[in-house]
Parts: sequence; C-alpha cells; structure tokens
Amino acid sequence: MNGLKVIKVVMPSTNGKFVVIGENIHTTRIVLRDGKRHKTLQNGDEIIPYIDNDGNKKNISVPDWFKKTQPYEQGQIKHFMIAVLEAINGNEKTQRECASFVHSEALRQISAGADFLDVNVDEVSYKLDIQKQAMRWLVNTVQEVSTVPLSIDSSNSEIIATGLAEIESTLGKTLINSVALERLEAFDLVEKYDTKTIITAAGESQMPTNDIERVENVLRLLEEAEHRGIREEDIFVDLLVFPISVDGSFGMDYLNAVKMLRKEKGDAIKITGGLSNVSFGLPMRKIINETFIKLSLEAGADSGIVDPIQTNLIKASSLKLDFEPYKLAKDMLMGEDEFCMNYIRAYNAGELVVK
Amino acid sequence: MAIIHEGLLGEMKYISKSFEQKHINGLFAKDDMLMQKIAFNLIYGNNNEVDELTKTALDKGYSANDVLDDGLISGMAIVGIKFRDNIIFVPEVLIAARAMKAGMAYIEPILSASGVEPKGTVIMGTVKGDLHDIGKNLCIMMLRGSGFIVEDLGVDTKPDEFMDAAIEYKAQVVGMSALLTTTMPNMGRTIEFFEDNGIREKFKMIIGGAPVTQEFAEDMGADGYGKDAMECVDLVKEMVQTK
Repeated sequence: MNGLKVIKVVMPSTNGKFVVIGENIHTTRIVLRDGKRHKTLQNGDEIIPYIDNDGNKKNISVPDWFKKTQPYEQGQIKHFMIAVLEAINGNEKTQRECASFVHSEALRQISAGADFLDVNVDEVSYKLDIQKQAMRWLVNTVQEVSTVPLSIDSSNSEIIATGLAEIESTLGKTLINSVALERLEAFDLVEKYDTKTIITAAGESQMPTNDIERVENVLRLLEEAEHRGIREEDIFVDLLVFPISVDGSFGMDYLNAVKMLRKEKGDAIKITGGLSNVSFGLPMRKIINETFIKLSLEAGADSGIVDPIQTNLIKASSLKLDFEPYKLAKDMLMGEDEFCMNYIRAYNAGELVVK
Repeated sequence: MAIIHEGLLGEMKYISKSFEQKHINGLFAKDDMLMQKIAFNLIYGNNNEVDELTKTALDKGYSANDVLDDGLISGMAIVGIKFRDNIIFVPEVLIAARAMKAGMAYIEPILSASGVEPKGTVIMGTVKGDLHDIGKNLCIMMLRGSGFIVEDLGVDTKPDEFMDAAIEYKAQVVGMSALLTTTMPNMGRTIEFFEDNGIREKFKMIIGGAPVTQEFAEDMGADGYGKDAMECVDLVKEMVQTK
C-alpha cells in the first residue's frame, strides 16, 4: 500500500461503522477542462496528471476521438470512460497505462474510507457487448490492487452478471448494485455468487412518490429476499435520494423513509442512498451534501453511496447545523425553504462561506 | 426600439453574447411597458404579479397571443439564457414556470375558444424499461410554459404506446427521454417501430436525457437532441417551424 493511510469512518451517531460505498470508479465521472485536475501542454496535448501507486508522476492524455464528443465540447473530460475505452481497444502497453490510472484511483478511494469500490461502466456505450467487455476489464483491473470488495453496479442484470463472473476476490463478499422490483432477476445472482446486495426502493412501474411508497417497495423486496434465504446482514437498502432543487419534499421523503424502515427492521439491515444526488441543480453542493449526510445519520442511515474523496464524512458527522450556511441547507433539505429561495439568495449574496 | 422597463434593462447584463442581446432586444421591440413588466415579473417568478398583469393586459384589449409572445415567452427566453449560463438554478426556473402558468391560466382558454392553433402538440415519455422522469417532467413544464400542448405518457413507455398517442393527439413532435445507457437503445427501437409502421415521416422525433448525446441522436436516426429542458423548448420550436 506504499504507506497509504486508510481512514476507518466511525460515525458517533451510528453506534458503529458507517459503510461507504465509494462511487467514483464510474465511466460517468468528469474532470472539468478548466478545473484543477486538467492541464493543456505547450504542444496542445491535454492531460489529466496523477500520481501512480509507486509515487511516480504520470498522466492520461485526452485522445483525439474524445475531443470530438459532446461532453468535451461542454468542457468535460470523462477520464474513466477514456481509460476504459482506451484499454479495451488498445495494445498491452496502453492497457498497462490505463490500469495504472485505475489502480491509483482505486487506492485513493480506499484510503479516503471506501469500504466497497462501486464500479459502473454503463456509459461507455449503449452497446451491450462493449459494456460487458468494459466491465470485465474494469473488474479485473480494480481487483488487482483493491483491499476492499467491489460493488458491481449496472442498470442491466446481464452486465452485473458479467462483472460477478470475473471476481476472484478473497476480500469478502462482493456487493450487487442493485436489485429492484423491476429487476428481481438480480436476486438470482445474489444466490448464485453468494454476494451482498443493494435493494432499491423503485417500484415496478414507477419511482416512489413519497416516503411510504419507498418503505412499501422495500418491504416487498425484503420479503422476497427472506423467501430466498438471503440474510438481512447481506442487505443494503437504497431508499432513493432525489434532488431537492426539483421538489422541496424530496429531502424529507428520504429522511422519513429512513426513520420508518429503521423502526420497522431494527439494526439488522444497512440503510444507504446516493446522498449527493440531493444537491443536483444547486450551487455549493458540498454544503448541501454534508448537511444531508448529517441529517441522514440522525435519521438512522448507516451507509452512503458517495465519493469519499469529495465528501469528508467525518466532518459531515460532526457538523454544527446551527451555523448559518448549514442551517440554510438544513431548512431547505427539510422542506422549509420553498423553491430553495433562501439558500440561493444567500449564495448570491456571498454568504455561503464555510471553512 | 428598446427596453424601457428599468428592471428588465438590468437583466441585459446577464446576456453576454451579442447575437443574443440582439435577439432579446428584438423581442421587446414594441416598447410596451406592460408587456415588459410581465416579462420582468415572470423572470423573478412573481406569480401574483404575472397573474394580475396578464389580467390587466387582456382587460385593456391586448390580444391573448400578444401577451403570450411579447410578455410571457419573451421573459422565458431570458430565463433560459440565465439558466444555461449558471446565473440561475433549477428552482428559479421552476418558479418562473409557475409564474408562466399563472399567466397561461388566462391565455389558454381564450386561445382555445378562438380556435387559434396551439404552437404545437408534443407527446413525451420516458422510454421502455426506464422509470426516471425528473428530467422529462422539467421538459414538459417548460414546454407547457412556452405555449405548447404536451401529452405526458409517463415512464416505461413502449414503442406502440408512443405511436398510438402520437396519432391520437395529432402530435407534431414525439419526445423520448432516458436516463440509462441500458434503456437508450429503446429510443432507436421506438424510431424503428414508427418506420416499420410507415408513419416515421409524419412526426419529428427528438430525444434527451443525461447520457444522451448529439452523436447518439444521429446514430439512432432522431431528428434532434436537447441537452436540458431549456434546449428542449428551443428544439421543439425549431421542429415545429421546419415541419
């Protein structure tokens, strides 16, 4: 591990371990072209510099094919997508270079506190054979260095199955992300590969519209899991976090569902969610995300599908919610700031300043 | 010809591109204080003011169409630019759409009673296998706010459901949304289904959603792609004009 310090995230409010499902090994992830992690060289080449696991300065270059894509024109570099696609289309040398980048990102996630590394390749292509090829490469590459189990993430069970078939790990049970009422067949994979699994609160034919529907959908899935002999300790429940910018009730829908499910099921199951979704469409997302983590912990969540590098979980768990920027975020997240107007007003006035 | 409302004039500082400044100035070329007041209040989501001002304008003899074009839609054009340039955020767009709705409550009945053709009819749904609808719902809200009739087909919409609805509602535009790469190919399958049934040419078919790109739209044979709700409105306007 080359002296990497691994943080164990123990939150005071969870009576134990907060399980971090590190969500950054995704082909959706971006680096901004005008951001800190991107450099343009004198000859015009564009690179993303990084430090490899042996401490050497390296970089991945932005290939010409990517410069013709729309994300690039909009100022975004999809660095994981580049690494994965270059690797599966490239020679051995290219593959080694791309692997080195993925290795470095994997260990960064782990040293920031990830208990699982969530890998998702859905966006490399809309073609299933390419998605499967990408999943095979990425799983094998990540598990070469990972000291934590992987979380195999896709909205298609076939892609999940492809990833699971590659696992050679003795690091503990792999996690499936995810089983849902619309994707019950993924339970077969939980049994076949003896994994842990995330189950989501999505309905068969629509997303839940409130807290009660979330809990009802989950209870149906838990019943099915029990019927199949899947143990509660192997289950993480994703109660679905939607953006507060779109509807002021979305924060409480999640938080209430967490409370209700915790009351119903006790401490046996893990309750999680894509907590940073909540801040989509708003400025200063970090303030909102950290506040929402704190509120989720208080409601009884004991896991998050988050990027532990971007989000300081230990800081979030000890936030002072009476401090003005966090208080504004809290009021907004609890549905007490219609159209997020107080929060946005404070942002425009330059008042959202935190350390 | 100029903008005479002081507040509205202040909005011009957010319009950085010169061709857009020209366009916006053109929208307000009638020098009409009342219309500019409506636009300004719409931009800031003051729905009570938009409600009252729209009523006042109609009482004073302005035509419903003029209030729609010179007041409400012109205001929304500025909202679109400010949103694209990160000057305002999603909730501020929603609040403007709510103000738009307040005005439309007076405009719509007049337009439909007088037989004025709507700006266009759009059917819109999330494609088969996909349950995500937040982005699609934002598009629908903005389209309705811009004077289009929109039939919402909901989520998990099968190709035959798109086709039946397109025919039933006499739509000009079929809008498809997907948030997952694993359901995106169903956009192409829906387009193929229209082709197989010999009705592809009757409709403009457009697509959008987080993982969707212009390149993908071209691969699938779609007529257009919009990256967000504001672009969706521009795209539909273009589709209806070129039809």
